[in-house]
Amino acid sequence: MAVLKEFTKGLWQEMPPFRLLLGLCPTLAVTNSAENGLGMGAAVIFVLTLSNFLVSALRRFIPKTVRIACFIVIAASLVVALELLMQAYAYKLYEQLGIFVALIVVNCIILGRAEAFAAKHNVADSIADALGIGLGYTIALTFLGSLREILGNGTWFGMSVFGESFEPFKIMVQAPGAFICLGLILAGMNWLTRWQNRRKGAEFISIGCQGCSGCTACHTAGKEE
Amino acid sequence: MGNMVRTVAVLTLLCAFSGFILSYLKNVTAPAIEEQLLVNVQGPAIAMVFNNAENNPLHERHVFTRANGESVTVFPCKVGNRLTGVAIENFGKGYGGPVGVIVGFNIMNDSLAGIGMTTLKETPGLGMRVKEFSFRKQFRNMETPVALSAQGGKVDAIAGATISSTGVVLAVNSASEVYRELKPEILKKWDN
Repeated sequence: MAVLKEFTKGLWQEMPPFRLLLGLCPTLAVTNSAENGLGMGAAVIFVLTLSNFLVSALRRFIPKTVRIACFIVIAASLVVALELLMQAYAYKLYEQLGIFVALIVVNCIILGRAEAFAAKHNVADSIADALGIGLGYTIALTFLGSLREILGNGTWFGMSVFGESFEPFKIMVQAPGAFICLGLILAGMNWLTRWQNRRKGAEFISIGCQGCSGCTACHTAGKEE
Repeated sequence: MGNMVRTVAVLTLLCAFSGFILSYLKNVTAPAIEEQLLVNVQGPAIAMVFNNAENNPLHERHVFTRANGESVTVFPCKVGNRLTGVAIENFGKGYGGPVGVIVGFNIMNDSLAGIGMTTLKETPGLGMRVKEFSFRKQFRNMETPVALSAQGGKVDAIAGATISSTGVVLAVNSASEVYRELKPEILKKWDN
């Protein structure tokens, strides 16, 4: 049961870009189409799962003082491996995502999950956590990418949605569109949470605090201090 | 003391292991990556240079070795089963990194058949414009060595992108040296 809980928390409660607001740089940069969002999400799932697995498996051997260096070595090796594999077997996607594949190394989700979760939990929980967070990230990116592609280009995964007469909002597939969409999504999610709380009769719980209590990163940071 | 030794040992082991895995993976994926580059990067550039080729220059490519030991991949272009041109990829120094150019030569008179760009990391709107047709077409049927018009040659540089344009010119000229050196072997291989 615990494993399942670690998995599902990433899908909504701790959805990385929309709830924790982590990994925003690639979120904004590569989501000009649904396919790119999905590809980037898949790349992150690959790196995150293996990195959480390795960090969790090696957590008893890694000395506390150099743990960050060790996490970065693990993440960097995985990303270079991913880059080579993508270049060899998914070249089109590799070209599309460009520098953002290499930048997964410094994506705060990878290091964040290693430090806040994998280094303190067993292997099964860590993998469940990575899959959940990774899948949440993928869903978020694909959703944002779909929204931008449909509005900005009139297509979804390359298929025409509205037909010939649709005049696309070109701004949506450009950089400002990412900010606009992300802002609207965040507003929508906050509104939804507030509405749900009100229905439960818990008006006085403020959104900010509730979002924070679910975040293990803040939790553990608090404990260590 | 013991702690420090352990710290050093763990980091060293981890780095050594990851280095080993990555170099192994690099070797394993090298042929597939080369194939992808051929299809996605060099292929389109060669198609720009030889739009009349009746063979598949990618499939018939051959690696020649220069006198100094450097190996050079040569792509032949055939029309009616006769060798009409060859293409060589070469790199010049650009503004944002190496400028990769596929340089095509006419076998008949050793002039340029044309050029096509492969890897470019130049500034969008400036250096990137070297891949535009209006710049590339200047090289068609030109005699080598070529030079920018500022240096008394016939190639008009892209305005504001002298470094990128010079990179292309240097790549073309050094490719032409390679071509002259290898021409006897090229003829022996394909022209009969």
